[in-house]
Amino acid sequence: MATKNAEALAAANKKYEWGFSSDIEQEFAPKGLSEDTVRFISAKKNEPEWMLDWRLKAYRHWLTMTPPDWAKLNVPPIDYQDAYYYAEPKAKPKLDSLDQVDPEILRVYEKLGIPIEEQKVLAGVEGSRKVAVDAVFDSVSVATTFRAELEAAGVIFRSISEAIREYPDLVKKWLGKVVPMHDNYFAALNCAVFSDGTFVYIPEGVRCPMELSTYFRINAENTGQFERTLIVADKGSYVSYLEGCTAPMRDENQLHAAVVELVALDDAEIKYSTVQNWYPGDENGKGGIYNFVTKRALCQGKNSKVSWTQVETGSAITWKYPSCVLAGENSVGEFYSVAVTNNRQQADTGTKMIHLGKNSRSTIVSKGISAGRSDNTYRGLVRVGPTAENVRNFTQCDSLLLGDQCGAHTVPYIEVRNPSAQIEHEATTSKISEDQLFYAMQRGLDQEAAVALIVNGFAKEVLQQLPMEFAVEAQKLLGISLEGSVG
Amino acid sequence: MTLATLPSPRDEAWRWADLDSLRTAAQTPQQSTGIDPASLFLDLPGPRLTFIDGAFEPAHSRPGAVQLTRLDMNASHPLGALAQGEGWVLKLDARTATDPVQIVHLATGGENHLPARIDLAEDGVATVIESYAGRGWSNRLLHASLGKGARLMRAVRLLQDQGFVSIRDEASIGEAASYVATFLGAGQSGSRIDGFLRCDGVGAFAEMGGALLTRGEQRQECAVAVHHAAPEGTSRQVWRAVAADASTVSLAARAEVARHAQKTDGEQSLRGLLLKRTSTVNLKPELEIFADDVKCAHGATVGELDRRALFYMQSRGIPEAQAKALLTHAFVADALDRIGDEAVGEAFKADADRWLEAAL
Repeated sequence: MATKNAEALAAANKKYEWGFSSDIEQEFAPKGLSEDTVRFISAKKNEPEWMLDWRLKAYRHWLTMTPPDWAKLNVPPIDYQDAYYYAEPKAKPKLDSLDQVDPEILRVYEKLGIPIEEQKVLAGVEGSRKVAVDAVFDSVSVATTFRAELEAAGVIFRSISEAIREYPDLVKKWLGKVVPMHDNYFAALNCAVFSDGTFVYIPEGVRCPMELSTYFRINAENTGQFERTLIVADKGSYVSYLEGCTAPMRDENQLHAAVVELVALDDAEIKYSTVQNWYPGDENGKGGIYNFVTKRALCQGKNSKVSWTQVETGSAITWKYPSCVLAGENSVGEFYSVAVTNNRQQADTGTKMIHLGKNSRSTIVSKGISAGRSDNTYRGLVRVGPTAENVRNFTQCDSLLLGDQCGAHTVPYIEVRNPSAQIEHEATTSKISEDQLFYAMQRGLDQEAAVALIVNGFAKEVLQQLPMEFAVEAQKLLGISLEGSVG
Repeated sequence: MTLATLPSPRDEAWRWADLDSLRTAAQTPQQSTGIDPASLFLDLPGPRLTFIDGAFEPAHSRPGAVQLTRLDMNASHPLGALAQGEGWVLKLDARTATDPVQIVHLATGGENHLPARIDLAEDGVATVIESYAGRGWSNRLLHASLGKGARLMRAVRLLQDQGFVSIRDEASIGEAASYVATFLGAGQSGSRIDGFLRCDGVGAFAEMGGALLTRGEQRQECAVAVHHAAPEGTSRQVWRAVAADASTVSLAARAEVARHAQKTDGEQSLRGLLLKRTSTVNLKPELEIFADDVKCAHGATVGELDRRALFYMQSRGIPEAQAKALLTHAFVADALDRIGDEAVGEAFKADADRWLEAAL
């Protein structure tokens, strides 16, 4: 552990290591947002008429809405007309595997630190664990690997624009069902201008043969990234989905308003893991990504289960509440989160567990770590509907403060309409104790390594939930994100 | 601010507020309640004040140290700001200690507003007990200022048969001073208890808590905050909610710790008990912390009575109804035990028990 942290801290000296940007020719939509922009995007993607109508409807609704102001965030006014809503790398011949991808893009992946297992897979190592990567480079999916093997299992793993063309009925059935277009300001915006994203369908009884992974990356200056992810797990299926994010260093704030929808039918299970490491801005709060994301899962079927795990270290402003609507009997929702804020970062993040089904259960474990001059808020809702018998919820949210210039806030909402529910909520706020630091340092660690070690221990319950290769990356990130926050 | 421009539930701090029943209560015609104000006083020595529809009623009062005067208070709270004009003031210091002050608010309908101020100088000690009865909308604003080492014990019971009671407490608590307020909502009116207590002095102690009991379609709520502006302060927020029938109790309590308020010790305990499957309890235990050397914890639970405890009591020969009553009594007592004066505590518990008998 100590070595790992030392490595991490050495890496941290490079400041924002992933703040590079690569030259790939872009094709832009005209700057600004109007019905024409929406039409342009839809035309670019060769979308059917119903999709365009859906986008336009969302756009018109968005015009009537106002940005949410209830979060504990200080969001500067955003000029939606001063951004590009569509950018794609110049058309490339269709590829069968990642090997054929433009070497420039491959180099980008390398710098991103694609997990070692995936590197092995890319190098063609026999017997290595398989991970399918659907890379979203700016807004268009450039390559999808392992398609054949996934197809043999009946799994559909496509960019969402391909899915709209190839599986219109399936997409039409579920798109916007979990997060309706009028759900909130940013979701409506996403519905109107989403450029690409991922579609996954796991058929009945299939356990997805590999972990699915998508790398999101914002590359062009001044382009908002509006991803759309839809995962449908049919009866008795299982899928684990990894989402990892980094973005290049830019001075101007960039807007990211993604929507993720998950649907789990009877006995299905979805595990959704995120490591988010977008550019957080510099020490003075200049630049950085605005991450306004709507993530929601519908546990529609009996015994269905959705587990969200997130490690949030990046972004200047995070507004994100991965939620579960537990409609099915015996359905299970889980939320494990580590949110780290440093310098001038602001995070308002948490979850919503909406219990509608009998015997539904949920677990929330949230670890907030604030350093520098940052603000870190946990905001969560646990709601029990009148017909939801025997609901169980356990919530634990712990905050750790590093330094005396930061803030840690906890805003849990508990709304119970059924007496058979058992809801428990616990929260603590603490700092790293002198004793812990002293002990770690007298064993030979320097102060930063000691802090990284203690922080990793604080977040252990959550990191354990991540798939192995992600857990390693996440541990590194925690150390890097807290660089310079002590001493 | 008028009734027409009250905050809406879209406003985060008023999310669970039932301002419709406040408006309805404000429009009920005035009508005799048949309640004798004297019956609402506890058998204790000390000053007694009666306000009927917010107006002082000398016949049932003996103000003692309490003064009646015009108060124009600076308040930005939407409901509190409505309470201006004639009100009562209690000013005490270490030499002018007094017996408990009892205040009865009897309303006959319509709306009535009453401001009040409590100023305790260094080492001043006061106990104030308030009871609300009748109908209509009663709206109150209290500004309290506690000097070094002063102690205020405040106990409020809401026993109105119908209508709405809204109370806004704003307090500044000085060095080593202590402010303890306990509320019991055991009537049948709607209610909203708003509070903002500032621990301004080093080592100040702030406590606000109580029990809100609802039945029928009643809705009661509290929305209180303790702000720690100085180091070494302590705050306790212990609230209990019991909801029967189709009623709703909402408890929102917040502890705020300013950047330099190191060594703060804050604790929140919000617990809800649902007696029927149609009843609702909403909880929001909120922490807002800017200092790094603090101890702040909150706990929140909602559920029904512990089946094992019920079974155990029944196995020892206690009938189910009585067992339920005992367990609920104990649940509520957690919050009412904070009342320091034994006689007052007993009176409040008796009110709660009467409510339990009627509801269970």
